[in-house]
Amino acid sequence: MVIKLWDGFIRGFHWLLVLALIGLWFTGGNLDYIEVFGVFIEFIDVHHKLGLFVLALVLTRIIWGIIGSQPGRFSSFVRGPKAILMYLRNPFQKEHLTHNPGGAIVVLVMLGLLLAQAITGLFTDDAIYFRGPLASTVSDTTVRALTSYHKQAFDYLLIVIALHIVAILVYALMRKNLVGPMITGKKQVSNEASSIPKQIHGGFGFLILAVNLVWIYWWLG
Amino acid sequence: MKIKNIATFTLAFGVALSALQFSAPAQADPFTNAEDAVKYRQSALSLVRANFAHMSGMVRGEIEYDAEAFQERANALKHLSHIPFDAFSGAGYNVTENSDALPAIWENWDDFSEKAEAFKSAAYELATAAESENMRTIRPRFMATARTCQQCHEGYRAD
Repeated sequence: MVIKLWDGFIRGFHWLLVLALIGLWFTGGNLDYIEVFGVFIEFIDVHHKLGLFVLALVLTRIIWGIIGSQPGRFSSFVRGPKAILMYLRNPFQKEHLTHNPGGAIVVLVMLGLLLAQAITGLFTDDAIYFRGPLASTVSDTTVRALTSYHKQAFDYLLIVIALHIVAILVYALMRKNLVGPMITGKKQVSNEASSIPKQIHGGFGFLILAVNLVWIYWWLG
Repeated sequence: MKIKNIATFTLAFGVALSALQFSAPAQADPFTNAEDAVKYRQSALSLVRANFAHMSGMVRGEIEYDAEAFQERANALKHLSHIPFDAFSGAGYNVTENSDALPAIWENWDDFSEKAEAFKSAAYELATAAESENMRTIRPRFMATARTCQQCHEGYRAD
């Protein structure tokens, strides 16, 4: 049986995040610029704007994890220590409709790191050219510490992303396609009519994203 | 015989003494101690930063471009670009206490010097570019200078 798993917002969130992170990686600490039709585009400004975009994305994902479609809700996949231990003892014993208890931890760590990365970015100062929009609101010592964290934590993010990709490859070797559902939204499940998750139209998620983008760019753009 | 010995000894002593003198900081050292050197280079770099920041504002368009003010800042930066580095090079100034300077500076002295030189030439070229009073000419030189700051901070300045 084929069911709808990931709604449009979850999928949009995921792939927009991938694109944004690639852009952020390239533009981070990059004091170069390009000229497009006579307009100078500085990479560090692009980094700033993309960072705000990720902040809006992650905040919306957290809201969507509370009020959105069932498979994407935290309550659908975040489990207590007992379930996590059981999972770790035998990872492939049970089929999980959405994230398994181990993957759920990775989801939370990833969202936490992304949020921290986006927020610390607001307080950075490269001592040369770029100063985050909130750097003036805290002490110099704090700015130094947060700038240092912001530079270092990207490596943590890369480690979690690597873990995420390795897990997908492991599942692929077991002939389980995790990428497909993140593109089409549809997942092949064994016949159990009881497990059809409740869906909310992804458009509402994008509406929340739009609202978040507006206040974030207005305040910190 | 004896006289010759004394002469030899005196000569040897003289040579040794002068060698000793030359190996001690022979250059007129303006700093009273290492702490003083740290303070000096920090002050110099903070002047570099302030002058640079004013130009940044104009390059970014946050403040209106004022050719005269920009030239003044660029000239200041050009002269300042030499200042910090004396206070890194003197014997005993490889101090990192109360300083953002990393020990890597003195472990890779040639590379550090090269990067310092790159900064100086970039600052010179910026001052020349400023004479054009044309942002299209200035911008590439300004950003190139910013990158020389960054290339040296990377690995030589504490985060």
